[in-house]
Amino acid sequence: MIQVTDVSFQYPNGFTILEHISFQINRGEFVALIGQNGAGKTTLLKQFNGLLKPTSGNILIDQVNTKDSSTGELARKVGYLFQNPDHQIFLPTVEKEIGFGPANLHLSKDEVKERVREAAAEVGLTQYLNENPLFLSKGQRQRVAFASLLSMQPEVMVLDEPTTGQDYQEGIEIMEMVKELHQKGHTIVFVTHDMELVAEYAQRVIVLSEGRILIDDVCRKVFYQPELLKQTNLFPSQIARLVQKFPDYSKRFGQALTVRELYEQVLKMTESDFRCLL
Amino acid sequence: MDPVITVEHLTFRYPTIASASTEAAALKDVSFSIHAGEFVGITGPAGAGKSTLVLTINGIIPHFQSGIFQGKVLINGRDTFETSCSEISRQVGSVFQDPEAQLVTPTVEDEIAFGLENFGFEPGLIESRIQEALHLIGITNLRNRSTSELSGGQKQRVSIAAAVALRPGILILDEPTSELDPMGTMEVFEVLKQLNQQFGLTIIVVEQKINILMEYIQRLLVLNQGSLVFDRTPREIIKEPETLHSVGLRVPPVSELAYLLKKAALYTEELPLTVDEAYSGLQKSLGRRKEEK
Repeated sequence: MIQVTDVSFQYPNGFTILEHISFQINRGEFVALIGQNGAGKTTLLKQFNGLLKPTSGNILIDQVNTKDSSTGELARKVGYLFQNPDHQIFLPTVEKEIGFGPANLHLSKDEVKERVREAAAEVGLTQYLNENPLFLSKGQRQRVAFASLLSMQPEVMVLDEPTTGQDYQEGIEIMEMVKELHQKGHTIVFVTHDMELVAEYAQRVIVLSEGRILIDDVCRKVFYQPELLKQTNLFPSQIARLVQKFPDYSKRFGQALTVRELYEQVLKMTESDFRCLL
Repeated sequence: MDPVITVEHLTFRYPTIASASTEAAALKDVSFSIHAGEFVGITGPAGAGKSTLVLTINGIIPHFQSGIFQGKVLINGRDTFETSCSEISRQVGSVFQDPEAQLVTPTVEDEIAFGLENFGFEPGLIESRIQEALHLIGITNLRNRSTSELSGGQKQRVSIAAAVALRPGILILDEPTSELDPMGTMEVFEVLKQLNQQFGLTIIVVEQKINILMEYIQRLLVLNQGSLVFDRTPREIIKEPETLHSVGLRVPPVSELAYLLKKAALYTEELPLTVDEAYSGLQKSLGRRKEEK
């Protein structure tokens, strides 16, 4: 779905932030992109919908090179959720905001309306359609931004720190919506600093460090290589850190990432496990 | 000893909200006091009134933000209504969420000098305070750097240094780590811990990142819809995770794990706040179970 081949990117001031990156993301994957501040995560995300184009190398979205395609065309395939919803929202009502993208796809009025209705219902904003987004809470504005992506029905959803500035409950609600989209077949790529969120949701984790890929593997493998993560100032989730304090942990606890997983492991432990562990 | 901050039956309503019902108040009948040397966390869901509370303590409310203000806020015994904002800012240093919005000068040195110059300090004193602040925060090596080339964690430490240079007794921070990666977040909390333990600064930090908050603070205030709903130590809070759940928050994963295991009689120690505590607690609990067998 996304094919990144030997991509480098240099900002106009000469600062190179991505260096010779290659990887591919297949249809239906759920990928977390992590790395320290300044590692190039947002710069990489912006290449996926053509907001930025590689200085060298190529990015193909569903076989189409982003260099040969406008951001408008790419927006049908790739929805982009900005870190700050206020950088995205610009219309006076929730309905217009959500309908802006579809209206630009030359759909009929009824079709636009139907898409707005569906998207608003999906994120629980139906009763706010006539409100000005400015008067909604930050969490609600984030959902407006999210719904305006949904109404475009893009195959790929790219989310830049979707839970930053939200409280725990709002963050979980957004991620549960994302998870549902993933189950319906959408490809998801999200950036976050919250390792608990990564443990809970991501299937695959790409770790960026100084413009290069440091690790690219399933979440469990990434969180069980703490030395490597430490190089780029990250730590695994709390539960993964706890398990790794035990000598011989892998035999007894497996590679638990979340509270639920470790709780079940401990419940299952037998006497011989204890002997071996202590 | 008298508290350094006293908040008494504080209700605040922003003027933009037309309805005059208490429902619309940003803060509703909030009362608490904080003593010198405490390290207090404030958390709560979005819209709980956390930032409003911060603004009433550093004097922005009522001096720059109008609204309906009932009750009292006393800083070092003096009502904020009767103290100018600049006087309050000498006693209460503020650090905000977005370092980009807070840093106003091109270099680190200028940034720290900015407040001192505005208060009309002598050049010699400015120099010594800059050195002191850089030293306290551990960023002497950044003195001549351009603020734009710093990492997020470094930028926030510069903001803290600029606040500390005025030698306030109280430092209040509104989500200082929300833009920072895990290491930057830890750097900020380590600096706060040091300022608190070694120099006795009273620290109040609004934070959503509950894992790190519980590791560092001594007392947690939880706001929900404008009201102060809990005021307890982290150890008390993790004993009843449901209380945090009820307002849409959670305890750290290791605390939750131990809590669940304790219910299943598999965890026998005091509930842990950190990964290290959880490790030793789990080791002992499992060891005890082994002996019983």
